[in-house]
Amino acid sequence: MLSWSSTTASTPADLAAITEGTGDGGLPNGRELIDFTNAVGGVDEAALAAARDALCASAGEAFMVDAAAVIANFEMMTRVADGTGARFPNESAGHRTALDQRLDIGHFTSAR
Amino acid sequence: MAFVRGDLADAHLAALRHVAAPGSRFTGARRLQIAAVARDAYLTTGPSRPWERPYGDAPLDVAYRLARHAGTISQEWYEQIVTEGTHPLDWVEVVGIVVAAVPVYAFARAAGLPAPMTPDAIDGEAHGREAAELAPATLNWVPVAAPADRTASVVQALSALPDEWDNLWQLAGAQYMSDAQMADPLWSRGTLSRPQMELIAGRISRIRECFF
Repeated sequence: MLSWSSTTASTPADLAAITEGTGDGGLPNGRELIDFTNAVGGVDEAALAAARDALCASAGEAFMVDAAAVIANFEMMTRVADGTGARFPNESAGHRTALDQRLDIGHFTSAR
Repeated sequence: MAFVRGDLADAHLAALRHVAAPGSRFTGARRLQIAAVARDAYLTTGPSRPWERPYGDAPLDVAYRLARHAGTISQEWYEQIVTEGTHPLDWVEVVGIVVAAVPVYAFARAAGLPAPMTPDAIDGEAHGREAAELAPATLNWVPVAAPADRTASVVQALSALPDEWDNLWQLAGAQYMSDAQMADPLWSRGTLSRPQMELIAGRISRIRECFF
């Protein structure tokens, strides 16, 4: 989804931002978005507050709220997938292999 | 305090009201108990280890693991829980409750807002409503609405219980985008661009070790 939408919007995305949580993904406010997402995924509330403030300062409060909503959505969708054993159809395996390798996700328990 | 657009606030309020109402398999009070476990599991800084079952109560243990350690759940564990006596549709309803509650609290924490008030349970027995016909799926462990495997696995995931399915997608429409909006790769709310949305979607999915 990331590669597809980024290509269509003519803004190449750097998958290292997803796999490593570093860099800016080649996107405006990308560094602040990645820091914010990393902080939501962690347990350090002070770090989360700092990342939230930095994102607001960089892109505005409405932008931060919508970013928080997207993160919340994928806190939801990851649990739908993992709670119901969601998998891709076999016929998609061929074109997924290269992306799975780039994302370094083949070793996850949730890989089905 | 950050301003939250109305459709998003309404969607989260609707999700909590949905949790408090009787479901197909559980009463409103039991559903709120399951949601409270999910909330606490998501927010705690000292979680149990993934393989531990802190409640000795299968729906609560499933809610805990799904809320905190979702990426560790295996088909073998699902089958173990079902073999012990949990009905597969009980499992589906627990998933529906967890995914109704977690995003509400996740959003509040992320945005630096107070957690919303939990509504009181709505009286009444479980209503038993489920899809007209159920079918085993190859794209999910859980039973789904027949015919199976005609749509993406995440789309059919909760289809056995239409109320849970409806709540999931009303939340997705407000938090992320609707099906119609998703069809346009250039659509945005005017804040984040699509690539920015996919960047953080991918990153949080990676942190949660969600292969899908």
